Amino acid sequence: MTYFDMEIPSRSTHLWRYTPWKRIHPSKIELIPTSDEIILDHDGNFDVKDGIRLTEDSTDISRVFLSECNSKMNVIEIDGKGQLVNINLIANGETTVGHIDLKCKGEATIIIHLSGSSSWTGLHISGTVEKNSSIGYAFVNELESNSKLLRCEDWDVHRDSSLEYGELSIGGFRNKTDIRTNLCDTNSSLNQTVAVYGIDSRHDDHHMEIRHLVKHTDSSLTMNAACGGRSHSIGTGQLFIAEDANGSNAGQVFHNLLLSPDARADAIPELEVLSDEVSAAHGAASAPIDKEQFHYLLSRGFSPSHAESLIVEGFLVNTFSSLRNKMISDDLKTRLKIHLECGIKG
Amino acid sequence: MEVLKISDLHVSVDGTPIINGISLTIKKGEIHAIMGRNGAGKSTLANVVMGHPAYEITSGDVSFLGKPLDDYEVHQRARSGMFLSFQYPPSIPGVQVGNFLKKSVASVRDQQLKAREFRKELNGAMEQLEMDKSFLSRYVNDGFSGGEKKRLETLQMLLLKPQLALLDETDSGLDIDALRVVSKGINQIAEDAGCLIITHYQRLLDLVKPDFVHAMIDGKIVKSGGPELAIKLEENGYDWLEA
Repeated sequence: MTYFDMEIPSRSTHLWRYTPWKRIHPSKIELIPTSDEIILDHDGNFDVKDGIRLTEDSTDISRVFLSECNSKMNVIEIDGKGQLVNINLIANGETTVGHIDLKCKGEATIIIHLSGSSSWTGLHISGTVEKNSSIGYAFVNELESNSKLLRCEDWDVHRDSSLEYGELSIGGFRNKTDIRTNLCDTNSSLNQTVAVYGIDSRHDDHHMEIRHLVKHTDSSLTMNAACGGRSHSIGTGQLFIAEDANGSNAGQVFHNLLLSPDARADAIPELEVLSDEVSAAHGAASAPIDKEQFHYLLSRGFSPSHAESLIVEGFLVNTFSSLRNKMISDDLKTRLKIHLECGIKG
Repeated sequence: MEVLKISDLHVSVDGTPIINGISLTIKKGEIHAIMGRNGAGKSTLANVVMGHPAYEITSGDVSFLGKPLDDYEVHQRARSGMFLSFQYPPSIPGVQVGNFLKKSVASVRDQQLKAREFRKELNGAMEQLEMDKSFLSRYVNDGFSGGEKKRLETLQMLLLKPQLALLDETDSGLDIDALRVVSKGINQIAEDAGCLIITHYQRLLDLVKPDFVHAMIDGKIVKSGGPELAIKLEENGYDWLEA
């Protein structure tokens, strides 16, 4: 199916409730714009091969649209021996699109950093964690504040493998993210952590789908969003546990910190559990800054803006506390601290 | 030098009067102890001086270092040398103690700290309080025992070197050894500061000798005296003061 054959999704569907397709499309929805490629730079000891993003079987409008904008794909094979791989993606130009396919085995840590001033960026990352592998993965969105981002990720995690996933979303002014992970084989696991920081009128919509397809699979999703100004964060988690996936464990927790009266945060965990012998839990909470924490920091000499910043930092840093991969958590925490310290006003 | 001067202070919380006319002057080098039953208004007094937003001064005057308290925002009070050791310090998950201490000290001293010098100073204070270095990588008060929280409060006091130390039940939750260590820290600060100690127990005052002891009932100081008053309160309770 091509983009033009597809129906524009309605707002009544779970995925498009908060960010309608026309709000994230780069121009008019009846157009597929010409686009530049995202520049890829890396420090790893591996080759980047050319590939083509195929989406004939996809029914998702984002994925089909991105492949029709530009189907050229960077294929990266990582034969992990514990190394750290840094991939920098730079999106410049009016409309920029990139595709990456990561084939991972062994032990490795991959950190993808997205930056640039492109008005509109589309990014589709797919990844396979092969059997008996342990992959740490971090994604940092530090696009400039005038950028829109449409991002899709698709992960397959295979037998006896784990994916430790950390994300820091601090860039762009309108972001639509759709991350889908399949736990394909027995004893596969996902630990997904997402930290979002919104200021001004930043809009950040994260949809995270986790599918337990077989028995004895584990997943954990933590999303912490701190929203200031008139920003809006949305976190939708869709957890699916198949009928045969007995003995699986899954948990989803969403925390929102509201920093101003006009900030908004929505957290919608959804569970579809078809198996009886599983453990599945979810929770969501939204609250303003704790007055006692704030007063305590003031009483220690912090200015009001510095105290708020430190509380936000702690709240977002805490997102990553469950990650066992220290390279990921340290990198994300450092980038977050630098970002917040640059924003302190007094 | 008068560090804190309170004149006929009245304080309310949500319209309910808690403090009903307290006058108190603390000079540099003086240690004042306030004792009283639960709900007498002791902690309210410390919190209102530190500027907790839940408390409203309905009448009276408070001056700190010769200037009206209203002239200071909360963080300016801290930067000018006021310190409150919290009875129940809140936890701040995600903020490491080491990072918090460094930023707090830099804010109060209004200067960038030289890393090596600060580390040396911090190590010295932690050794004095018999604190393990692993404290520094933990999150502020997150999962701390009562005693650990009080040690961290005392560590902050040693590093911030206040001119006025308000100690709200700093002795609660401390075992005998910890009490001895924390008392040593209080005595060190008290040499160059005014101290207001809120406590229920004589055992702290055996180790930190107060110059003045005040008994508080229903938001008022009903009796003031020397260290002997604390002993009498410990032995006889507060009923005799109401007679």
